Amino acid sequence: MKVTRRDLLVWSAGAAAGLLVTPVPWKVLDDVSIWSQNWPWIPQPARVPIEVKQSFCTLCPNGCGLRVRMAAGWPVGVAGVTMNPITRGALCPLAFGAHQLNWHPRRMRGVRYRGGISSWPEAHAALTKASEEGRTVVIDGYPGRAASSVLEQFALKRGGSYRVLFGAEARGLRPYETWSDVPASSLGYDLENAKTIVSFGAPLLDGWGVPGRFTRWWAERAAGAEDPQLRLIQIESSLSRTAARSWKWISIVEGSESTLAAGLARVLIEQKLVPARGPIPAVTVSDAAKRSGLTTDQIQELARTIAAERPALAISSDENPSIAALNIVLGSVGVSGGIVRRTKNDRYPVPAEARYPMSRKDGETWGTPTISGARAVVVDASVPWDFVPETDAEVFRFAAWDGGSSKADWLLPAPGFLEDLTDVPSPPSAAVESYAVAPALTKPTVDVRSAAQLLVSIDSSLTSIDNIIHGRCAEIFRQRAGTLYGREIAPVAQIASAEKLEEQLRNGAVWITESAKPAALRCELKEWPSLAVASQDPDWAAAWPVAMLPPLASKLYSESSLREAPARRNS
Amino acid sequence: MSARYGMVIDIDRCTGCGSCMVACAAENNVPTLPKATARTGLTPMLVRRVSNGREGNARRESFIPILCMHCEHDTPCVEVCPQQAVEVDKATGIVMQMPQRCLGCRYCMTACPYHARYFNWWDPAWPAGMEKSLNPGVSVRMRGVVEKCNLCHARLHAAKERAAAAGKKEIDPTDYVPACVEACPTGAIHFGNLADSNDPVWQEARSPHVFRLLARIGTEPKVYYKSKEPWVRALAESNTGNEAEAQHG
Repeated sequence: MKVTRRDLLVWSAGAAAGLLVTPVPWKVLDDVSIWSQNWPWIPQPARVPIEVKQSFCTLCPNGCGLRVRMAAGWPVGVAGVTMNPITRGALCPLAFGAHQLNWHPRRMRGVRYRGGISSWPEAHAALTKASEEGRTVVIDGYPGRAASSVLEQFALKRGGSYRVLFGAEARGLRPYETWSDVPASSLGYDLENAKTIVSFGAPLLDGWGVPGRFTRWWAERAAGAEDPQLRLIQIESSLSRTAARSWKWISIVEGSESTLAAGLARVLIEQKLVPARGPIPAVTVSDAAKRSGLTTDQIQELARTIAAERPALAISSDENPSIAALNIVLGSVGVSGGIVRRTKNDRYPVPAEARYPMSRKDGETWGTPTISGARAVVVDASVPWDFVPETDAEVFRFAAWDGGSSKADWLLPAPGFLEDLTDVPSPPSAAVESYAVAPALTKPTVDVRSAAQLLVSIDSSLTSIDNIIHGRCAEIFRQRAGTLYGREIAPVAQIASAEKLEEQLRNGAVWITESAKPAALRCELKEWPSLAVASQDPDWAAAWPVAMLPPLASKLYSESSLREAPARRNS
Repeated sequence: MSARYGMVIDIDRCTGCGSCMVACAAENNVPTLPKATARTGLTPMLVRRVSNGREGNARRESFIPILCMHCEHDTPCVEVCPQQAVEVDKATGIVMQMPQRCLGCRYCMTACPYHARYFNWWDPAWPAGMEKSLNPGVSVRMRGVVEKCNLCHARLHAAKERAAAAGKKEIDPTDYVPACVEACPTGAIHFGNLADSNDPVWQEARSPHVFRLLARIGTEPKVYYKSKEPWVRALAESNTGNEAEAQHG
């Protein structure tokens, strides 16, 4: 048979058409796609066994218990510790991505001096020289740690001063310190025993205090109930996350919180809803109504609602003496379910003075410290990046992440997440004392030193962090009080030796004092305080002390619009 | 006996913190780069902010976590996939997505009534060194495939391995908990076997105020929601992508 050109063309066309109905081209296309999608440079996780360890988050002062999954010596996942009696397994959303922070593109990777590259020996020499030439001021963000003790020792030995910047929760307790002789470091909010909580803009369900503490309690006692066991009244100008989930949301004019608190106190006293305690505020109910945007009837109704279910605890978003005074009128100071004194400090390994050093020295503790006559200022990594010391002194700024422009002369890379040993004293808002040790679970990804480590290397007479922690563990054992919550729950009195107690603490256990009757706390209010306008942060994540949000958190928040974060944190 | 894993999410407990989203992404090795938008991002668990549409003091808001609903009946994504890259696991009821089979046609994304599927537009990437933080139990998915919630299937595998090592045929129910459930600080997400009448989730799925999204289309989702707010329950029958009623975030 003769094959013509036409036959050849027909056969070719038929073969081409027939091939399309076979799997061959599609398989080839699929394989090419898969091959081109799996480039060798695409990272794949290490195939290694997972080890689970326990530690504590030290990115903010609340020290939540962490269960960390480790692979090949690196953290690969974070979850809460259900045995922790304070957090009960809950964490803030940022903690779940915190293990990636150590590789954040904005991680401080080297010593920098006025924009140029420098080195640790040069920084060491510069700080040694500066501290010998004049006063050194050391600024801390999380007081009470072993590292804080080192910072304070160094400052005082060199004739300088040690200062602390407090967070909003601690500042909210300041008025009670003024009206009593009890340092605010020994005070806390007994949220668990309150029946009504009146929040003046405090983000109670959005990261306030120890993030999991109140949210867990609220979920059990209040969520979705029409007549809840715990009544959460949110007084706030906007419908925040806490307001959205509260039992009652009272929308007021922003900045009128103090006036409304005074107006509520006046109604409570005049209508004899509570026994008379303290002075009557000068603000009338109509003044409060005019200022807050509510009606007088609404304020009276609100006062009756608050008085109906007590203990009722008023909480401010920041320092606000008028709201603190409302608690005195409500009889919610020094009682269960109110503002409580945690201990008398004779059963806590960290003295109150160490946790609260500024209040005993001068009045500059609470605001931005004014620094005059200093030769050097050392800013610890625990101080929020936004803090800029007003000084002409040489500034040594420790930080794990670079938050953007800085006025510091020296930028010094500090340990990141779980990269160094530290201890965790009681959180600022806690109702009971606690103590924990956060072991370093991973090696630093860059050459880092903490402020305390550098100061110890300058002055070898300072007690090291390790020794201070050792001493504190021994003190807990010596007192034989409280309970240790680790893999098992054990009263300290049943632990055989100080070494065993320290070993458990260094492996992620937490020590808690007995939740006994609150220690005596008497506040004397001679006149109604001035009506301050408290600052209010619109978003808790924006107020996070660490300069950077975890990359996954910032990515997901921006992709979902769930939260707005400052632009500098979105990188 | 085959299981039917599912969830009951108590919307009245959800504070919209986003812990579930971050924990899910960390568990499943969602890449941090590149930055995407609400349309192009990968959010297997997405918390949406919804409101009653009113303003002022009458306004009420809630948060609804949206994930793959693991539809039991006429699963839309399974029906349309030309590659058999999606299937309902008979042993668990989990709707599985197999990226190795996926052609990237995105029919499943179009078919999904819950907008719970996401396309990988880019090669997965992390900042230098961050690949050390990846979860060893979960493979990184390649560019050009669709992905979604698989109820942390790697955790189910791990639980099975532990059970086998202990000489047991069945896993301990407390040993298999998806990352979002573990992370929720208010305990709003309850997970369990909907086929087991002794499981608390089975009971809860039959309690008052429970509803499912778009129940009228008959796909029998295994993710249930719970709310005492009538306006929240009313939203369940509307289109979840309707921006007038439900905003992102």
